[in-house]
Amino acid sequence: MTEPLLEVRDLVKEFPPPRAGLLGRAREPLRAVDGVSFEVAPGDAFGIVGETGSGKSTTARMIARLIDPTSGSIRFGGRDLTGLSRAETKAFRREFAMVFQDPYSSLNPRKTVGSIVAEPLAVHGLHEGRGERRRAVQELMERVGLNPEHYNRLPHEFSGGQRQRVGIARALALDPRLILADEPVSALDVSIQAQILNLLRGLQRDLGLTLVLISHDLSVVRYMCERVAVMREGRIVELAGTTELFAHPREPYTRALLDAVPVPAA
Amino acid sequence: MSPLLDVRDLHVRFATEAGDLRAVDGVSYSVEAGGALGIVGESGSGKSVSSLAVMGLARTRTATVTGEVLFDGRDLLELPEAEMRQVRGNGIAMVFQDPLSSLHPLKRVGFQVAEAVRAHQDVSRAAARARAVELLAMAELPDPARTAAAYPHQLSGGMRQRAMIAMALANEPRLLFADEPTTALDVTVQAQILALLRRLREELGMALVIVTHDLGVIAETAAEVAVMYAGRIVERASTPTIFNAPEHPYTWGLLRSIPRLDVPRETPLVPIDGAPPSMLDRPTGCSFHPRCPHVRDAHRRIDPPLEPAGGDDPSHEVACLLPPATRRELWAKGKAEASR
Repeated sequence: MTEPLLEVRDLVKEFPPPRAGLLGRAREPLRAVDGVSFEVAPGDAFGIVGETGSGKSTTARMIARLIDPTSGSIRFGGRDLTGLSRAETKAFRREFAMVFQDPYSSLNPRKTVGSIVAEPLAVHGLHEGRGERRRAVQELMERVGLNPEHYNRLPHEFSGGQRQRVGIARALALDPRLILADEPVSALDVSIQAQILNLLRGLQRDLGLTLVLISHDLSVVRYMCERVAVMREGRIVELAGTTELFAHPREPYTRALLDAVPVPAA
Repeated sequence: MSPLLDVRDLHVRFATEAGDLRAVDGVSYSVEAGGALGIVGESGSGKSVSSLAVMGLARTRTATVTGEVLFDGRDLLELPEAEMRQVRGNGIAMVFQDPLSSLHPLKRVGFQVAEAVRAHQDVSRAAARARAVELLAMAELPDPARTAAAYPHQLSGGMRQRAMIAMALANEPRLLFADEPTTALDVTVQAQILALLRRLREELGMALVIVTHDLGVIAETAAEVAVMYAGRIVERASTPTIFNAPEHPYTWGLLRSIPRLDVPRETPLVPIDGAPPSMLDRPTGCSFHPRCPHVRDAHRRIDPPLEPAGGDDPSHEVACLLPPATRRELWAKGKAEASR
C-alpha cells in the first residue's frame, strides 16, 4: 500500500468550558473533536461530512495548523505536524493549501486579484522578477478559468463564483500536494456551484492533487470524493468508500442523514 | 372560484445611485386557498423582493411597487399601511430564513408569541400566554411551557424556527409565506421543519408560498412551481412537470447543475455558464440569452412572454423562444446523455 499523505491519529480538541455567569463554577471542557483518526492516500479525494457541531471544521482547522490539537497527531508526508519548527511549518505551507467557504471575506478587497494570487509566491520568494511573476499568476488565472487580462481588477469587480476561482488560483500557486476545501460552494448560487465543483474535480484529477473536502452537503461529498467520513459529536461514526457508504450505510445516523436530504424529483 | 392570492403584473423598482434597479419585472401568479406554490430562483432573481412586496414590506421611499396584489379580492397595494398591518400577521403571515434576527433577543419566546396573538385579537394577557403555549405545542416544540419561558439564544436554530412558525400561526393565517425557511438549518432539522409545514398546511387548510433556491425543498413542499430568473417567472408548472418535463433551458440548467443522491455517482454536473445578470443592466431580448447554450440570433432582440407550453400539463407555461418541439427534443437528448 502507498504511504498515506495525510494521517490523522486520535485527534482531540478541547475548548475551555463556557462559564455559567459571573460566579458560575467551572464546567467540563467542551470536546469538539473526540478521537478522530483517518488516512488519505496521495491523489485521493476524501470527504468529511457532518452537521453543525459535528467537529468537522475544528478538525479542518487543526489539519491546517490554524489551531493546536489538545492531543493526537497529524502526519503529513510522514512528518508530524504538531512538533514542527517555524521553518518546517513554512515548508509545510508550500505543500498544503486551503480553499475557504466565503469568497467575499477571504480576499483582501483592496488588493488586485493579481497580487492576491501572487502573494504566496512572494512569501516564498518564487518566480522573482516582475515579468516572470506576472506570467506565473496569469497562467494560474487561466488554469482556473479566469481571464488573465483581469489581473489588475479588484475582488468586488468579480462575481461570487469568480472570486472562488481567485481563491483556488491562490491555493494552487505553490503547486501544493494537498488542498483542504472547507465548504467551498455553500456560499455560492446554485448555478455557480457546479462550475466550482467541476473545476476542483478537474484540477484534482489533472494535477494528481489530494483533496480533503469538508461539507455539510452529502450530495456534494458523494460527487467529489472517493472515501467519506461521517462525523457526529466530535467522532467519526462511519468511514467507507463513497459508493459503499451511500448504497449501504451501516450506521443509523448515516441512514438518517441520507433520508433527510430532500431529493429534487417528483 | 377566485384564488386566495392573485398577483398581477407586479413590478418593484428601486432608485439607486447607480440607476433604476428593476428587482421584480412583471410577475403574475396565483395561489388557491390551501394551495402550495414554490418560488425557486437564485440570488437576485427577485424571488424574495416579490414576496416582500406582496406582504407590503417593500414600502420604502426608494421603492416603487406597481401592479395588483389581490388577497381575498382586495388589492393589498392600495391599502393604507394601518389596514395592511391588519392583513399582515392575520390573513397572511411570514417566516424568514434567519429566526435569530427575527426574534427579540431580550424577550422570552412565549411573550413574543403572545404579543403576536394580542396584536390582532382582543384577549387578556393570561389568555394570550396560554394560547402561546398552545401554539408552541402546535409547532412541535418539546415541553412548550418551558420553551415559552426561554430566551431565543437558549434555543437551537431549529427550535427558533419552530417558534417563528408558532408566531406566524398565532392568528390562523390563510396564507403563509416561507422565505428560505430551512436554509440556515442542518439537513435533519430541515427535514423536520418541512414535515411540520406540510402537516400544518394539511391540518389547518392554510395556503403556503415557499421561496427557496433549493429544488429539493420545492419537491418536498410545493404542488406548483414558479421558476424565477432576472426578476421574472420564466417557467411555471405543477411540481411533477417541472422535474420530469421542464421546457426552459434555465430550469434544465438548475436541475443538471445540482449534485443529487438519486442519480448514479458518475453522472456529470453540467454547470450553467456565466453568472446571473445585474438588475441594473439586464440583457436585451431574453434575459437568459447570454448564458443559454441554445441561443439563436433573434433571442438577443426578442423578449419572450410567458406562454402556455402546450403539453399535457395545462398549467405549464414557459418564456422561451425555442419552438416547443425543439425544446422537448433538447430535454430528451440531455436526459439520454446524462444517463449514458
